[in-house]
Amino acid sequence: MQKFFSNRKLVIAIIVLIISFGLMSVSVAIRDRKSTPPLIQQFGNDVAGAVDRVVALPVNGLQGATNSVSDLLNTYQENQKLKKQVDQLAQAKVNAQTTSAENKQLRKELKLNNSLSDYTSVTANVLTRTPSSWMNQLVISKGATAGIKKNMPVMSQSGLIGRVAEVNQTNAKVELVSNTSSTANKFAVQITNKSGKSVNGIISGYDKSNDLLEMGSVTSNVKIKKGDKVVTSGLGGTTPKGLYVGTVASVKQDDYGLASEVEITPAADLSDLTVVTVAEQ
Amino acid sequence: MRYSRLKIIFPIGLFIALFLDGSLSNVFAGHLFSYPYTSVLHLVLLWLIFAIFLDDRDDLAIGIWSTFVGLVFDWYYTGIIGVYMIALPLVVYLCRQIKPWLDLNFLTLLMVYIINLTIVEAFAYIWYSMGHVINSNLADFAVFTLGPTIAVNLAIFVIAYYPMRRLYLSVN
Repeated sequence: MQKFFSNRKLVIAIIVLIISFGLMSVSVAIRDRKSTPPLIQQFGNDVAGAVDRVVALPVNGLQGATNSVSDLLNTYQENQKLKKQVDQLAQAKVNAQTTSAENKQLRKELKLNNSLSDYTSVTANVLTRTPSSWMNQLVISKGATAGIKKNMPVMSQSGLIGRVAEVNQTNAKVELVSNTSSTANKFAVQITNKSGKSVNGIISGYDKSNDLLEMGSVTSNVKIKKGDKVVTSGLGGTTPKGLYVGTVASVKQDDYGLASEVEITPAADLSDLTVVTVAEQ
Repeated sequence: MRYSRLKIIFPIGLFIALFLDGSLSNVFAGHLFSYPYTSVLHLVLLWLIFAIFLDDRDDLAIGIWSTFVGLVFDWYYTGIIGVYMIALPLVVYLCRQIKPWLDLNFLTLLMVYIINLTIVEAFAYIWYSMGHVINSNLADFAVFTLGPTIAVNLAIFVIAYYPMRRLYLSVN
C-alpha cells in the first residue's frame, strides 16, 4: 500500500482520470439545460465551425460533383418515372391549396390564430457529422443568430431526421433520430390509417440492423396496416403537427403480449444529408 | 525542408485532420455507418502517430497539441468534454514510452497503430458507458464498431505511410 501511493506517476494518472470523468459527468448533467452550452464553449464552437467551413467546402463540393455524375446516369429512367407522377401531383397541389385556403378561413371564423401545424422553416447546410459510433450527430451551418433554438425538429427534404441538441451563435448540433443514447429526446407521433382513425404514440427507439424506428406501448384497438403514414402529432408543444416521419413497416406484439409495437420506415435517408430544414414554431 | 517549418505544418495538419474526420464521415456516411457496422475515421490519431514515430528529434509539442485537439473534438463534435481530451494525450504518452524499444518499420508501426486505435475506441466506449451516454454491450462494441474501425483506418494508414515518411525524411 505504501509503494502504491509513493508511485508518483500512478497518482498523477489516477488524478487525470478522475478529472476526465468529472468533466464528462458535468457535461452530461448540464447537457439538457436551456443555458447550455456556456458562452466560452459557444465561442469555441463558433471558431471551430468557421474553420470547419473552410475544410468542409471542398469536400462537400467533391460530394456534389460525384452526386451530379450519378444523377446524370440515372436521368432517363428517373424522367420516365417522374413524368407519370407529375400529372397526379398538379391535381393534388390544387386540391391542397383549396383545402388550406378553406382551412384558414374556417380557423378565422373560429378565431384560432395559431394552430399546431403552423411553422416557419430555416434551411441550413450540413457541415460535418460526428466521427463516432456512439453519437449520431450533425453540425449544421445556422445557429442562434438565424433563430434556431434548442429542441426544434429538423427535417431533410423527405422527412423528419432529428432535433436540435445544442445551439451556438453560428452553428448548431443536431441529434439524429437514430441516436439510441438514453438521454435522447422522444418524438410524439400519430399514425392515421386508411379509414381516418388515428393512433398517438411516442418514438421509443431505433432498430439499427433494419434501419427502422420503433413506437412501443401502443394499446389502441385501431387497426394499423403496413404503409400507413406516420406524422408528428404536435403534442408536447415543441414540435409542430404534421411533419412527415415515415410509413408503417410492421405491427407486432411486444414482449409481454399486452401492447403492440409499431415499426416505422423513416422517410429520410439518414446517411445522405447535405441540406436540412429546421422547423420553428 | 527546414525543421522549423514542421513545427508550423504539424498543428495545421492536425486540425485539418480533425475537420476532415467529420466532413468525410458525413460524405461517406452511407458506407461508414452502414448499420449495424460503424467505422470511425481516426485521421487525427494517424497524424499523431506519424509525428511521434517518424520525427527523430522528438522536438514537437505533440502532447499539448493532442490535448488541445481532443478538447476541440469534445466541444465541437460530441458536446461531452473530457473524453478525447484525455484519450489522445494518453496515447501520445504511451507511444513516447515504447518508442525507444521499437525497431521502427512499416509493420511495427502498423501494429502500434492497431493497438492505439483499440485504446482510443475502448477508452471512449468505457467512458461513455460509465457516464450513461450510451448503452451498448461489449460484444456489440467489439464486432460492430472496433472491427470495422480498425479495418478502415488500416487501409488509410497503408495509403498515407509512404508520403508521410517522405515528409519526415526530408525534414530530419
